Amino acid sequence: MEVAELAVKRALELGATEAEAYVQRAKIIRVGGSEEIEDFNTVESLGIGLRVVLGRRIANYSTSILDEAEVEGAVAKAVKIARVSPEDPDWRRLNRRFGESQAQGYYDDSLEALDYQEVVEALESPLSLVRDYDPRVKPTRVFLTVGVTGVSIANSYGEGCERKETYVVASMRAKAKEGGLESTGSEYQQARSWREIDFEELATKASERAVKFLRARPIPGGRMPVIIRNRIFASILGVLLSGPINADWVQKGASPLSNRLGTQIASEDVHIIDDGVMEGGWGTRPFDDEGHPTQRTPVVEGGILRSFLYDNYTALKEGVESTGNAQRRGYWTTPQPSPSNLILRPGGVSFEEMVAETREGIYVEETIGEWLSNPVSGNLNATVTHGYLVKEGELTEPVKGVVISGNFYSLLKEGIELVGGDLQGSMNYYSPTVKIRQLTIAGK
Amino acid sequence: MLESLKSELEKALDRAVGLGASYADIRFQRYDYELIEVENRALKSYSSRRLSGVGVRVVIEGGVGFASTSDLSQRGIGNALDNAVRAAKALGDRGRALKVGEVNESEVTLRVKTDPFNVSPEEKVSLALDANKAAWTGDEIKSVVTRLGLSKDYRLFISSEGGEVAVETSLVGLWHQTVARVNGVMEMVGDAESLCSGFEFLKSKDWNAFTADISRLAIEAAGSRTPPPGTYPAVVDPEVVGLMLHEAFGHASEGDYVYTGESVLSNRLGDQLASDLVTIIDEGVVEGGYFFPFDDEGVRKGRTVIVEKGVLKGYIHDRNSAHQFGVESTGNGRAQDFENIPVVRQTNYYMEPGDHGFEELVEDIDFGIYLRGRGSRGGQVSIGMGTFTFGVGPSKMIRKGELAETVRGVVISGLILETLKTIDAVGKDLKITTSVFGGCGKKNQMVRVGDGGPHIRVRRMTVGGR
Repeated sequence: MEVAELAVKRALELGATEAEAYVQRAKIIRVGGSEEIEDFNTVESLGIGLRVVLGRRIANYSTSILDEAEVEGAVAKAVKIARVSPEDPDWRRLNRRFGESQAQGYYDDSLEALDYQEVVEALESPLSLVRDYDPRVKPTRVFLTVGVTGVSIANSYGEGCERKETYVVASMRAKAKEGGLESTGSEYQQARSWREIDFEELATKASERAVKFLRARPIPGGRMPVIIRNRIFASILGVLLSGPINADWVQKGASPLSNRLGTQIASEDVHIIDDGVMEGGWGTRPFDDEGHPTQRTPVVEGGILRSFLYDNYTALKEGVESTGNAQRRGYWTTPQPSPSNLILRPGGVSFEEMVAETREGIYVEETIGEWLSNPVSGNLNATVTHGYLVKEGELTEPVKGVVISGNFYSLLKEGIELVGGDLQGSMNYYSPTVKIRQLTIAGK
Repeated sequence: MLESLKSELEKALDRAVGLGASYADIRFQRYDYELIEVENRALKSYSSRRLSGVGVRVVIEGGVGFASTSDLSQRGIGNALDNAVRAAKALGDRGRALKVGEVNESEVTLRVKTDPFNVSPEEKVSLALDANKAAWTGDEIKSVVTRLGLSKDYRLFISSEGGEVAVETSLVGLWHQTVARVNGVMEMVGDAESLCSGFEFLKSKDWNAFTADISRLAIEAAGSRTPPPGTYPAVVDPEVVGLMLHEAFGHASEGDYVYTGESVLSNRLGDQLASDLVTIIDEGVVEGGYFFPFDDEGVRKGRTVIVEKGVLKGYIHDRNSAHQFGVESTGNGRAQDFENIPVVRQTNYYMEPGDHGFEELVEDIDFGIYLRGRGSRGGQVSIGMGTFTFGVGPSKMIRKGELAETVRGVVISGLILETLKTIDAVGKDLKITTSVFGGCGKKNQMVRVGDGGPHIRVRRMTVGGR
């Protein structure tokens, strides 16, 4: 806390009218390899991000050097940049509401002192599981990241606040070969604590997918029903919706949802919530990156657009309360509104029912390139690397190399036929498996 | 300060050897970055960043451990060394061996006229503001964002073998994005130009014309249709050629992916993989590209021939993959920063020019598409299957040998080894570009790269769209 407070105090002494300091410490372990474990890397980093305000002139400065002289130099440079910056007529002030929400499950203290040997052994187990799964399969990439981060925020209005968070990501890629045929299968898991990672499942899913897709091929194009796996639809939701519901996009006029508040943008059974306090969620934390408490914000209720997501700047510009969505992607970036955990509320249809109700369609299990979809026009595009043709209510042959496309907004309005009950996350985006009435498939 | 730090780092190397390391290297980095963002005629943010620290790599009985710290005190460096040793020992003999190759001693600094960090903040802000204002060309324009990016990267590499290489590179550029709305349809087009140069590059160009042209393209795109999905003959511009080569072929030629068998190019040396018009190069110092004379393992990055007249000639390597293949490193060991280990990465990856003029490429196509990179949204590939998907920029249909209407939302996909075989003409132009606003991501590391080539013609390209 000392460095942050020192920086704020020094900025005020140099003539700043407001100042904010954001100090981030990170301890990261990354272990990875291909057929076997090859790398063990550790990172200890520390940095400070400063926001200095002179009236309505703002400057940001960051440095990874935290000795007193460098911090003083950084503050002086920030004040100098602020003096020459043009005024931002929309600037009101820094965040004044500090506090903590009831967020749970974002910190696991067992990750503070992980034994390096134990980490290597834990990752050894899925590798041998893949090797033993089937003679045609071998592991080609394995990766584990364990992160422990600490953040302290101080500004010229607040007492300051501190939080600690933990993250674990494990991923596995396997390759299958048989005669001249080749295929790959991947799986990853994300969690906020060590014990939640199921290394066995990681290995089994990657291997299974690789083997099953040896004979996968494209199918002819056309329009047909598409069942999209929870995690893939979550990722699509993130790509296409996180920008348009960002208050900053809305205020700039860049969001297609500007002027749509209170109107029907999706069918009645679509409910989307931004939940900053979801237990153990990837984006869960007690306060945002400006120190404002996190909260649950209904974004779409019964198809009606209810709220955008705000940080302090965009909220004050519009005269509303911040929704606690300020996020810095690192201490060196400026805060921006960003979803905490964006969730499409699950329905009650099981995956088996969805398949059973499909006469002819495709089940999309893995895709690449969905992030190429355009959030402004709503054009959705993704290349299916792993999918299945559904015929007469059953999963049949494996499919790869076809492109699904459609318009995300028409999909929200009249395209979603069934919503599953199996919520899963892709980073901080969550969705159940969904069945879409019709999408265009560009095939062979 | 640098001299005293250097002697501290040398002491740490000695200590590493004393603790049983058969090899050790230390990388020191000091990175300065400024990003100025102007949005809708107002300065949105002025961010300035300084990053500094060391990364220590040790090899102990086959295990390779790495640790980094931003704490440059004697204690901080000592801690990092201890962590690296601990990590190496936890790996046991699982680690990756490193090819011991050339030992270089060199110091190279990109020559610049004006250090971008000696230019006043006022001058930079006003350049970005003017360019942003120039993009308001009409009522269709809904939002415009302009960014000015400036960076300076100093890297020092020292090793227990006696290697010592220092490289300093500056990279500057301007990025702009316009959102336009025509008849209720919104479209977003972004583009950037960057160069390894001092501030003089930013002063030498007419950025107002640059941003106004992006607005013109956004309006044109918003008022256009998406192409009917299908398979077309295509003329591909240098930016898309660069993107496609880098993503779909370049990554597959990276030694680590080849070694594990993950890549479609594994065991294909000597095979005819592309039409004989195709020659592909990875090179450290080229006009327009990212300035990269030495890699992060102290190895010189020269010119590496990957494909010659359609035949696969080689892969790119760092010291680890060079060891695995029993060859010399090609100088492609690159790390995002001192917090990461070097892995096999491309530098400037491009196709060599041929002999066709642009008109000649277009005139033989009865019905096809001219794929353009400007406003592209990037791409993604599966290097194991050789599949690629790219969202290219607003493009043009080709009808009866001539460029026709503009189309938007163009997404191309295919199998790279099939696409490269259907190249039936290669243009005589050559354009290689880099960017200060992005780069290439692999294994959670981002590095600056360059890519490009000439215009080419491809007989069959699958185009998705809405």
